[in-house]
Amino acid sequence: MDTIGGLLQGFDVALTWSNLTMCFVGVFLGTVIGVLPGLGPPATIAMLLPLTLKLEPTGAMIMLAGIYYGAKYGGSTTSILLNVPGESASVVTCLDGYQMARKGRAGPALGMAAIASFVAGTFGVIALMLVAPPLARLSLAFSAPEYFALMVLGLTMVVLLSGESLTKGLLSMLLGLWIASMGTDLFTATSRFTFGQTALLGGIDFVIVAIGIFAIGEVLANMEPHSAPEMLPVPKGLRNLLPTWEDMKACRFAFLNGSLVGFIVGILPGAGSTIASFLSYGIEKAVSKHPEQFGHGAIEGVAAPEGANNAETGGALVPLLTLGIPGSGTTAVLLAALILWGFKPGPLFIQESPTLFWGLVASMYIGNVMLLVLNLPLVAVFAQLLKMPAFAMYPMILGVSLVGVYSDSSSIFELGLLAIFGLLGYGMRKLDFPNAPLVLGLVLGDAMEKALRQSLMMSQGHVSILFRPIPAVLLAVAAVLLIVPLFKKFNAMRVQVLDQEAP
Amino acid sequence: MNLKKMLCAVAGAALVSVGAAHAQWKPTKTVDVIVHTGPGGGSDLLARAIATLMEKEKLLPVRMQVINKPGGNGAVAAAAVSERKDDPNTLALVTSVWIAGPLTSSEAKVALTDLKPIACLVFDPAVFVVRTDSPYKTLKEFIEAAKANPGQLKQSGGSVTSRDNIVRQQLQHATGARWAFVSFPGGGERLAALLGGHVDMMVIEPQEAGEQVRAGKLRVLARLSENPLPGYPNVPTLKEAGYDITPTPQIRAVMAPPQMPAEAAAYWEDRFAKLHASPSWKKYLEENQLDDHFTNSAELGKLIKQIEDELRTQYQAAGVKVVR
Repeated sequence: MDTIGGLLQGFDVALTWSNLTMCFVGVFLGTVIGVLPGLGPPATIAMLLPLTLKLEPTGAMIMLAGIYYGAKYGGSTTSILLNVPGESASVVTCLDGYQMARKGRAGPALGMAAIASFVAGTFGVIALMLVAPPLARLSLAFSAPEYFALMVLGLTMVVLLSGESLTKGLLSMLLGLWIASMGTDLFTATSRFTFGQTALLGGIDFVIVAIGIFAIGEVLANMEPHSAPEMLPVPKGLRNLLPTWEDMKACRFAFLNGSLVGFIVGILPGAGSTIASFLSYGIEKAVSKHPEQFGHGAIEGVAAPEGANNAETGGALVPLLTLGIPGSGTTAVLLAALILWGFKPGPLFIQESPTLFWGLVASMYIGNVMLLVLNLPLVAVFAQLLKMPAFAMYPMILGVSLVGVYSDSSSIFELGLLAIFGLLGYGMRKLDFPNAPLVLGLVLGDAMEKALRQSLMMSQGHVSILFRPIPAVLLAVAAVLLIVPLFKKFNAMRVQVLDQEAP
Repeated sequence: MNLKKMLCAVAGAALVSVGAAHAQWKPTKTVDVIVHTGPGGGSDLLARAIATLMEKEKLLPVRMQVINKPGGNGAVAAAAVSERKDDPNTLALVTSVWIAGPLTSSEAKVALTDLKPIACLVFDPAVFVVRTDSPYKTLKEFIEAAKANPGQLKQSGGSVTSRDNIVRQQLQHATGARWAFVSFPGGGERLAALLGGHVDMMVIEPQEAGEQVRAGKLRVLARLSENPLPGYPNVPTLKEAGYDITPTPQIRAVMAPPQMPAEAAAYWEDRFAKLHASPSWKKYLEENQLDDHFTNSAELGKLIKQIEDELRTQYQAAGVKVVR
């Protein structure tokens, strides 16, 4: 298929007034539900589905896709301002985004989130357009052993996320892995760690844990009487609201990293945007010249994961549109929508419905520009939130967290869980345990366990299946990541000893 | 005398109203349809379609709204329906998951037999598929190959309690063949594992497989459905393929809270019978490749009991711990 011709045809479709309107409605709705914790894109799209039946399908698809990638832009807002992740893909943005806000750099953090989203989101669309079919076939080579190795690689990031004490980091990660194992086991139908609770049969939602530990824990720690509730410094002047040229230069690699990692992970049906954002954050910290600034407001720590979760959208559309395989909750609902409108998503889809495919691709270029234009001015508005005094701010964070969790599940039980994890987060802060490794273990643990057991079921118990080419390389990289810090430590000790010996 | 007249009138009025109530209970407020999946899941989409079709066919004086009670593999939703006790304005759209959960998890306290049956709507159809480049042209060839190499061939599917695994158990039991079952949480992952050559066979919904078959990626070996599937001509049932097995059906049915009053239950049974007879329902089933299987309340009750017994036997044979 002639790409240029297809794209021109696509812009022809996307640039009609009605489709431009649909695109704007989609990205606007997406930004709104992204900003609000709780309600996510799959639920929003499913609820809007019956309405879209009366619309023209191309326009409707443009709108629904707009909700999907628009939500990724909005998700960072509450992460940065309130330490409440707006979407699961924005959990890792809390680590440095919120610290930036505490240092009076909320504006640059929000601005960088929007810019990184735009850069990587556009990269995702370009890649979707250029390399979708061959990459989709390649993604099928990835199966359980490869996923297992990828998750192991992800878990080695604990070394980077632990801070002062690796022991505390590992304990925190184990807690996360344990929480990930709760619920009904897929392979044996056995209940694990459900404590007799019906509601725990399906496991614990990752977002509840993240909101509890990050947001509620933070509020509790700040309410202690002796720590005078500090007001967050509010950036003054337009110049301080946007990232500086130095910020942009510092994030050059983060843009590339976020774009590539997000897109590649997005293509794999067994991963997803949360894993993509964690991986790109880890890579960013690993290659950084000043890793010690991560977790204390490094702007690359916002740019990389926010970029990754937007490039992931383009990646996730690859198996959906070229193979008819949905890799996530949102793409599964989009698949249902395409079928409802009478399309045939599958290996022949691009050939048979070029208007829809190219119209969608073109609309995503336009939508990403709209989102940048929409989100940058919002930075100024949202940054004003920080002017609120502590007595209004902390109740608001609690309120936003509670409403977010309840709107997603309508269950009082989950509010109880939120309280428990809030207390856990508070305790971890008091005892100086890093909380990022817990969330890391929770995100990767479930997928890693499943992938390992699937691999061994495929090989009838032979471990050799984990050492076929792709997983072998990934596992080797993981081993290097674990061993190198040991050498550094050893070297530092050696230098120290030498210094002492030399008079 | 006046008093007597009045009494008569009151009694008469009371009789009339009782009679009317008995024959003509009608919902007066929005009806809740509880499902166990989140928005966008299979039951959720079907429930929303039912609400739309009820409105289109003007079968209800009120609106129907879908209530999502995800979590606990159906157990949270079942508990929610049970808590509505005698509410005549609550229904549930259930699947076989509601039967399987309580059998294997003691935490799932409400069995489907505890709820009041209204009507069975459809059986979920499925087809056995392999890759087009696979050497197996028929189900028999696959099973013979599995017999020759015990445990070597692989099938991708859902949970160990899912229908995919149950039909595998039944076939293994009947033929003595043995092959592995690899669980994947998502339908997309199962399909990707088959297309990528990591497993050899899968049991899949006809709609999910349709485009892959048309594009020449997958070959269909047999079907699990009573009625012929549109788009899959000449695909044999298990019996036609040479295996005398009655697969345990996967149902989608309407249930009600345990103590729903009889007149309300009768009303709902009648409404769903009317929905089933409507042309727009037929069209919906065809478009979504669902296997039409309507039964009334009494038959649905028997059907659930029968499925529960069959699943219990199959789970025990598969080594899954059964708790009730």
